[in-house]
This record gives sequence, C-alpha cells and structure tokens, in this order.
Amino acid sequence: MADGRRVLITGVSRFWGAELAARLEADPGVDQIVAVDTQGPARQLARTDFVRADIRHSLVGKLVRGLHIDTVVHAGLVVDPQQASRRSVHETNVIGTMNLLAACSGADSPVRRLVVKSSTAIYGSEPGDPSFWSEDMRRASPARDSFTRDLDEMESYVREFEVRHPAIAVTLLRFGNVLGEVHDSPFARLFDLPVIPTVFGFDPRLQFLDESDAVAALDHVTRGDCRGTYNVAGAGVVVLSQAISLMGKINAPVIPFVGGSLAMRVLDRFGLVAFPIELVRLLQYGRVVDTSRLHDELGFVPERGTIDTVLEHGRRRRVRGLVDDAEPYRYEHELEEFLRSRGRRGEDNGPPRPRAASAPTVRARRRRSPQPTPDAEEAT
Amino acid sequence: MTTPTRRLPARAASQNGHRSLRPDEVLVAQPQARGRRRRAPPRPSLPSLPSLPSLPSLSGLAALRRDLPATVMGATGALALRLRELTGRDVIDLESLQEVISVYYRLAALREQHRNGVFDVDDFGFDRGLTEALIPLFRVLSRRYWRVEVDGTEHLPQRGGALLVSNHAGVLPWDGAMIKVAVFDAAERHARALMASWFDELPVASWLLRRTGQAPGHPDDTLRLLRHGELVLVFPEGVRGTGKPWSERYRLRRFGRGGFVEVAMHAGVPVVPVSVIGSEETYPMLADLQPLAQLLGMPYFPITPTWPLLGPLGFIPLPSKWRITFHAPVDVGSSDATPEPATVMELADSIRATIQGGVVDDLMRRQRVFRG
Repeated sequence: MADGRRVLITGVSRFWGAELAARLEADPGVDQIVAVDTQGPARQLARTDFVRADIRHSLVGKLVRGLHIDTVVHAGLVVDPQQASRRSVHETNVIGTMNLLAACSGADSPVRRLVVKSSTAIYGSEPGDPSFWSEDMRRASPARDSFTRDLDEMESYVREFEVRHPAIAVTLLRFGNVLGEVHDSPFARLFDLPVIPTVFGFDPRLQFLDESDAVAALDHVTRGDCRGTYNVAGAGVVVLSQAISLMGKINAPVIPFVGGSLAMRVLDRFGLVAFPIELVRLLQYGRVVDTSRLHDELGFVPERGTIDTVLEHGRRRRVRGLVDDAEPYRYEHELEEFLRSRGRRGEDNGPPRPRAASAPTVRARRRRSPQPTPDAEEAT
Repeated sequence: MTTPTRRLPARAASQNGHRSLRPDEVLVAQPQARGRRRRAPPRPSLPSLPSLPSLPSLSGLAALRRDLPATVMGATGALALRLRELTGRDVIDLESLQEVISVYYRLAALREQHRNGVFDVDDFGFDRGLTEALIPLFRVLSRRYWRVEVDGTEHLPQRGGALLVSNHAGVLPWDGAMIKVAVFDAAERHARALMASWFDELPVASWLLRRTGQAPGHPDDTLRLLRHGELVLVFPEGVRGTGKPWSERYRLRRFGRGGFVEVAMHAGVPVVPVSVIGSEETYPMLADLQPLAQLLGMPYFPITPTWPLLGPLGFIPLPSKWRITFHAPVDVGSSDATPEPATVMELADSIRATIQGGVVDDLMRRQRVFRG
C-alpha cells in the first residue's frame, strides 16, 4: 500500500465536504479520497471516489476497514437549522456522528485522525455571556433549541471517543458564521434581503469567516498533525448595524426584543421570513469567539478578517445575477461517470486500489436521488 | 484600535485584526428610496381656497435642521445676557450650552459616517469616536450639575493596565459615568467599566453601554482588558451597592468574593481604590418593591421621593455635591497560579477599608449635601 493519506469525507453533497475534497485532490500526498453521502457531490470532483451511502448505516465501518482509511473528516454536520427538518438534523448530526465514531473505533481500526466540523453555535447567545468564548468555556444555561442540544450531544460523543481512543488524533473545529459566494448560510440569506430585520434596541457583535478560509482551515487541519478543539472565525468583530451599512442595505429594527423568537415563528409560519428562529438570539445578543488558539497552536490565520469578509460579500452580491455563478457547481452525473471510467482504466498500470463503488453492499444501497441545487447547500 | 485576544501577540493582531475603513471601499447606501419618499406629489390647488403657503423646500428643511442649534444658541445667549443684567449673576451657563450644542454637531457628523459603515469598534464593541463625542454632555453634568470635585488624579497611571475599584451608589449608575469623565479629563484615557449582565438585556442600553466602552463583568473579559493595558473600572458591590436603602447610605456592602483582586493578580496590574460621595443622594431610595422587581426581571424596584410618583420626572437625579477621590495604587503582586483565598480576601478587605475610609473623610469635609 502507498504511504499517502487515505481520507474519508462525509457530507460532500454540501459545500464543505465537496470543497475540501477538491482541495485534497490537488495534494499528491493524499492517496485516496472517499466521499460518502446520500446525495451526489456539490461540485465536480476528479479523483474522489464517491459512495452513495448513508453514514447512519453500519456500512461506513466496513468501508473504513476495507479501504484502510487513516483520516476521517466529518464535514457532514448540518449547521444551518433551516436546511432540514428538526428530525433529520437530529438523525444526521447525532445518530450519524455516533455511527461514524463507531465505524472509526475498535482495536483493528486503521483510523489515525478524525476531524469533526462543529459550530460556534454551541456557545449559545445569551445576555451576560463573556465577550469572547474560548474553547474550554461552556455556556452557563442549557441550550434552548433542539439544534444546539444536538450539537452539544454530538460534541460530547466526540469527546468521549477522544478519551477512549488516545491513539487517534481528534480535532474539533467550531466554525463561526460563514459568508461567501457559493456557500448558503442563514446570514447570507439575511443579507440578501433589501431591508434587513434586526432586533429593536440591540446591535450585536458578530464575526464572519470567508468561505475560502473556512475550507482552508478544514484542509489545514486534515493534512496537519494536531488535536484538540479550535474556534475558527475571522479576526476582529463587526456590529450588525455596521455590517448592514457596509453592504449598503437598510437596517429595519422591527423584531421586538421581548418574544422576538415568537414573532419570528409567526412570520415564519406565514412564510414571510427565511431566517432560522434559533438565530434570532444571535441577532439580539451576538457571539464572538477567541481564535488565538487557532493562530498560536495551529498557525492558521484566516486570510480575510471579519470586516473584509463582509465587504467582499457585499461586493460579490452586487454583481450576482450578472455572472452565472451556479454553473461550476452543478453536479454532472455523466461527467462523473466518465471521469470514473477513465480513472478505472488508468488503474491497470498503477497499484491496485480498492474500489468502493464496486462493492456489492454499496451498490445495493445506491439509489438515484434528486441532484442538489446550489441553493440547498450547507451553512453555518 | 485593536484589542488582541488573550494569547495573540499584538503584532499578529494588528495584521489580521481590525483595520480602519477607507470611505472609498464602502458601499454607500442607495439614496433613491429616501428621495422617492420625500418627493411628494404636487398638491392639487383648490380654487375655492386661498393659496396655501408653499412648503419649505427640502434644502430649506435641511438648512433649518443644520442651523437650529446655532439659532438656539444665539437666542439663549441673548436671554443669558438679559438675565445677567437683571439678576446680576450667571443663570445660564453659556459654556455648558456650547458644549451641549457641539455634541449635537459631532453626533450629526458621526451619524453620517455610521450610515456608511465607516467606523471602528474594537473587539469589545467600544467606539472611541462616539464615546468622545458624548463626553462633553457628561462633562456638563459633572461640572455644572453635580459640581464634581476630583482629588488624587496623580494616582491614575498614564499608561498600562490598572483596576479602578470604586464604591457604588445611586439607583442608576451615574457614578460610573462621572468616574469615566474624571479619568478622561485627567489622563486622556477611557476607563472601561464592567457592567451587570442585566444591562445586556435592555434595549438601546445594551449596545450604547458597550459602544461607550463597557464590558460584561466576566472575569475573562476583565483579564483581557487589563492584559491589553486598559483601565478597568469595577464596582465590586454590584447591584447590592446601587440598591441600598437610604438609611444605609455610604455603608459599603460586601466586595463580592474578592474576584477583582484575583483578576488584578493574574494580570499583574495595580488596584486604584476610588471613593465617591454625593452619588448616594442622587436618588434617595426609600423602599424597594422586590416582588415587582422580580416580576419585571430587575435587580430592584426603587421607590424614591420622585419615582414612581412623578413618572418620567423621577429619573431626574437630585443635584447633590459630589467628590471623587483616587487613592494611592495598591500593588497586589502578580501570579499566574490561583492565589491563596486568604491573601485575596485580606487584600479585598484592605481595599474596601481604604475606600470606606475615603468616603468617611470626604463626608467629614462636606459641609452641605447639595450646596457647594
């Protein structure tokens, strides 16, 4: 077997997994990339082996052992509560993670690294919160919504796994709010509105991270050698009113400060707002994390700071619609098949590589599902 | 200004942290919407009515808004002169009036900048521009209303972090504002007061307090500010101090659990005790309706001679005579490890005693509560 890394990525049907796979493909040090998801990749990938499977099933364990996967990147976490129903978020985030961890555990496990993508939403957003959350702080009050509770539960499984498997380097990345061209996030949707509803009398401090920095961080950690929990966010802070002005939008303080989530729930029911109710508190109290650990221990510094990310997002959004930006990210099934067949031919000369897609168990589970549109991507 | 996070070297922070915005890289808000709204359709002229006086044009309105403070200033100036001739003393202080009007102009200029997003807040949400624009307003309160006398400003460090520890009194925390003005006028530095988390829940106050330099009273926040070389103002009595009944005025409450000493030790900064008198008389608290306070989620619901009897007028503080004394800095040493609880409590007690002593001394010097 070759010396290079053999990486398994979850969640390639969404932004994070797909972009990470594309980056790893460019690295000759990575021998094999296996992507697991129930839906096709969000962007075309050249040498990634795609397995249409659900991480909720035990087959991932067989895959890991069968392919001698040494690095598992769990990027399949849903961090946009609006993207799926509460039940399916729970299934993906909690049960999916549990299964993935089970697949990586055991004495015969070839896995040496586990990277899990989490969210800074785990810190919550409450009055009297510290101005900066560092990684070892815990929120004072229990989580209010099922999404954050799931996140908490997921992280506790990961920590438990870390304790039980000291030989496996576990890295947990907690990402802040991501803005970008491709990536669809609650904040990106909010900033797309011409008039932005805010909570009356509140102007929270927020941080934003550019999507390319988000993927770069994931890539850095996947290829690097580190363990621990790290916050990932752009340097500096922005207050919401400033972000709105910088984007040239109108600030409408219309959400009442008492019962704001109730009001949003009502508006949501009538289909008037497309903003996750869980994030109303974020609009009221904000959240800022301390990223010094990321800088000092991992040596990773996001290229864009918070203000730059906001400015750049505003610039891109101004020309949206003029440039057909959806094109490169449409999943081309035929093209993938072509690339796959080409890859298979080229294999005859090289060392034999286990082919996941040809495994009968996998093929049996393969099913055609609707192609994801770029709008259905994932978000922080 | 950038406040680097705890373990981040200052150099890295300045590279990746905040940078000032240039106006040209900012998307300017599209003004069409506003223009459309203001352009009213032409009034249909009714033949039976006498012709209406023409509405002031948009530029006329803008000019009026711009010149209004100056007009007010001129009129009040004339009135002040007349009053001085009549009574023989200054009834209206023109200098204060000028300060207040300058605040109006500075805020108008800032509002324009804020509309375009051209302003900087530090990582704690402190907006230096806005704070310095508002200070003259509080300076008028300090000099003319409470006639604050300040002693011991030589004890304020010109640079580097220090923890200012003060007694806390009055139903509303005016003492914090007055200490901040005194510190700014003496040392050109902004004291960053630590506030109760309760203020985070209040609309407007939540962001205004942060924008003017306050931070939540979280030990981690305090440590960050001190390590960054800021002056941090803390009221260890907290709401127990401001919610004191009138009968217990100037009796300092328990100084928390001495957490402030621990933080100063961790940061390796001196503690400057501050005593304030006059603040207790701003709102004499006769009773505290705890059940109502609990219902409203407030720390206390005060009954003062004017509140809630006179409604909003009850918010007007009484014009007591104030004195603020900065005492000699106390060196609490520096330690990274958790200090001995006995040492911490001893230091906290001695600092509390210094402040209580200062309060008593100043009260003895004070001859009248309101005059002077």
